[in-house]
Amino acid sequence: MAIIRRKFLKRSAATLGALAIGGAAPYVFSRNIAKAQESDTIKVGILHSLSGTIAIIETSLHNAELLAIEEINAKGGVLGKKIQPVVEDPQSLVQVFAEKAKKLLLEDRVAAVLGCYTSASRQSVLPVFEEYNGLLLYPTLYEAQECSKNCFYTGAVPNQQLDDFVPWIIETLGRKKFYMIGSNYIYPKETNREVKALLKKFGGEDVGEEYAPLGHTEFSTVINNIAGSGAEVVFSDLVGDSIVAFYKQFKQFGFTAEDLPICTPITTEQETAAMGPENAVGHYTSFNYFQTVDTPENQSFVERYKAKYGKNQVTNAVMEAAYFQTYLLAQAIEKVGSTDTDALIFEGLPGQEFKAPQGPVKIDEKNHHTHLWARIGKAREDGQFDIVWTSKDRIRPDPWVDYLYPNKDCDFTDPKVMERVKKPWREEKNRSGTIDL
Amino acid sequence: MLSERATTLQTTNLWLIALGAAVALLVVLVATGTITISQRYISQMMIGVSVAAILVIAAVGLAIIFGVAGVINMAHGQFIMVGAYTAAVVGQLGGNTFVAIPVAFAVVALLGLIVERGIIQWIYDRPLETLLATWGVGIILEVLVKVIFGPELYYVGAPRMLDGGIRLIGRLPYPYYRLFLIGMAILMLAVTFYLVFKTNFGLKVRAVRRNRAMAGSLGINTARIDMLIFMFGSGLAGVAGAVLAPIKSVSTTMGFSYAVDSYMVIVLGGVGNLLGVPTGAFIIGEAETLIATGTNSVIGKLLVFVFIVVAIRIVPRGIFGYQERR
Repeated sequence: MAIIRRKFLKRSAATLGALAIGGAAPYVFSRNIAKAQESDTIKVGILHSLSGTIAIIETSLHNAELLAIEEINAKGGVLGKKIQPVVEDPQSLVQVFAEKAKKLLLEDRVAAVLGCYTSASRQSVLPVFEEYNGLLLYPTLYEAQECSKNCFYTGAVPNQQLDDFVPWIIETLGRKKFYMIGSNYIYPKETNREVKALLKKFGGEDVGEEYAPLGHTEFSTVINNIAGSGAEVVFSDLVGDSIVAFYKQFKQFGFTAEDLPICTPITTEQETAAMGPENAVGHYTSFNYFQTVDTPENQSFVERYKAKYGKNQVTNAVMEAAYFQTYLLAQAIEKVGSTDTDALIFEGLPGQEFKAPQGPVKIDEKNHHTHLWARIGKAREDGQFDIVWTSKDRIRPDPWVDYLYPNKDCDFTDPKVMERVKKPWREEKNRSGTIDL
Repeated sequence: MLSERATTLQTTNLWLIALGAAVALLVVLVATGTITISQRYISQMMIGVSVAAILVIAAVGLAIIFGVAGVINMAHGQFIMVGAYTAAVVGQLGGNTFVAIPVAFAVVALLGLIVERGIIQWIYDRPLETLLATWGVGIILEVLVKVIFGPELYYVGAPRMLDGGIRLIGRLPYPYYRLFLIGMAILMLAVTFYLVFKTNFGLKVRAVRRNRAMAGSLGINTARIDMLIFMFGSGLAGVAGAVLAPIKSVSTTMGFSYAVDSYMVIVLGGVGNLLGVPTGAFIIGEAETLIATGTNSVIGKLLVFVFIVVAIRIVPRGIFGYQERR
């Protein structure tokens, strides 16, 4: 008995000791996590849900990033070192995202994290990245109006999907009366605000605006409302299951794309496959990337993705951003010659360019968002999109569009902003680069 | 349940008379032109019928299990989901909705049998535990389907012959598929009525429902009745999944919203009488569509929930409340 007890005491002492060290560790490393890394690999965190409700899309982002890392390593890696992905699964739970982000920064001490999909998950991890001065690259299109020192946004912001789309609908399709239908949360509401401002500017008319609860699948009333409104075009910001149900019921109530096209910045190849292409034919989507984009980079991207993950896989815009942001990060590390977070944020990433599948993209020098191409696709019978319009040049990202927020901007080259973001975290909790002009 | 009339007459009849009078008054007013309803509202009311039909289809399986076996099947939504995935598989093998209906019925009835024999039969007399157990079954089903089919949305098309619609009133054609759904709702109710009221099996079911101990002592195998009813109700959930898949989306998480709608129908309609299901569904379906016509779907859903909460305060057992003899 005595021996056992002694063993037990020893073990608990050891455990307690380990716990004490573990508990203290964040303090030791918190201010300076990026300096370490003397090993022969460069660790990069991958933070996408592989289980839970949003795993469908996030798994594809995870796959695209791993594909890019594999390719970079095959070409010799970065700074002569291989990139080592550190994969965490936040299970589609917002609070787990923050936990896992903390773990990646403090325990694994990764150079940067590629991750998140929803705005909710990004907003839950941002304070962690700001407090411990980490670096996040975020691939999703989102509602903008955000700017953080520690985050780079490689997905589209509304001005890149709407500024040309709305005038195109009015002028090329010749349809002026818009009926807006969206899911009831922030992204569709912000998007529709911008659409309404554009309608005013280009002489369109807003004949109805309606929101359905998230996950709503009964659209007969909405469709009847649309029919009674005299709309010439339906502008949809529905997401998830609702998209599929809406397009199906829209067709069942006798609407074709010739009578009344649905125009949307959200529906991708994945949704058209799920609803059955016959329900999507002829409707329009505005995106910076479609699988059918005709560039050599895209052909090889699609080929390599299918070779690695299966013939039936479809690529979409968010995956493409996940893919090229991995390259942008690798190039930035190569450029500054280290994985120092501040060096990457202020020298490495701004202005970084890459020949992405959608065409050459560039991170903005000032606002941490990305210059992307704008395209309009018309759904085909095989579920893919015919690209009916492509922008002449990359579109500059504008997190606060001038026609809605004339006095707000985001600029990390402004000395006033720099002064603020370089202060210790405790004094300046919000490391945003926003300035009110 | 004809013999129960005597006990439930007072409460039920009052409500029915009030409801009937309101509808009759409305019809008379419209017919005589005292009030005019715009075409939009009339077509909306007709669409409301199809929404009610969808609610009936989703709720009838839950109602019969709850009504007879006394189990609130929290996995009901997931049973519907399994039915929808069955339809997706049938679709990929080349069958259409008409083929999917019997297949989904069989598959989900079998699932119901497994769940009943494996879990529920041991805990019939502990309602709280049946709630938890079936809730757990629902979660297991969701994860299992996700493991087997992957997390992406699945495609189920409508049969070609049900494409298009018929022009009745207003600007919109009435989709054939929605007419088919109304037919399905009536058929599912009719089959259930027939089974419960016109067959020998139904006689035993009613006996068990009225007085379990007495029925048992008269030689009815009550456990077997429970099992068969659980299978039948589960099978109906499977059919619901198969016929709803072509107009909705098919995903592993689709079950939840159907489950919520079904519980609402049952809470409002009551389980004392099978008429409770169509009545509850009709009120909810029409209220939701009509309110949403003037406002939007978010407010429509909200006001219907408020209405149900108030209704529960007035008729705690639902419109067709059933006074149990204890």
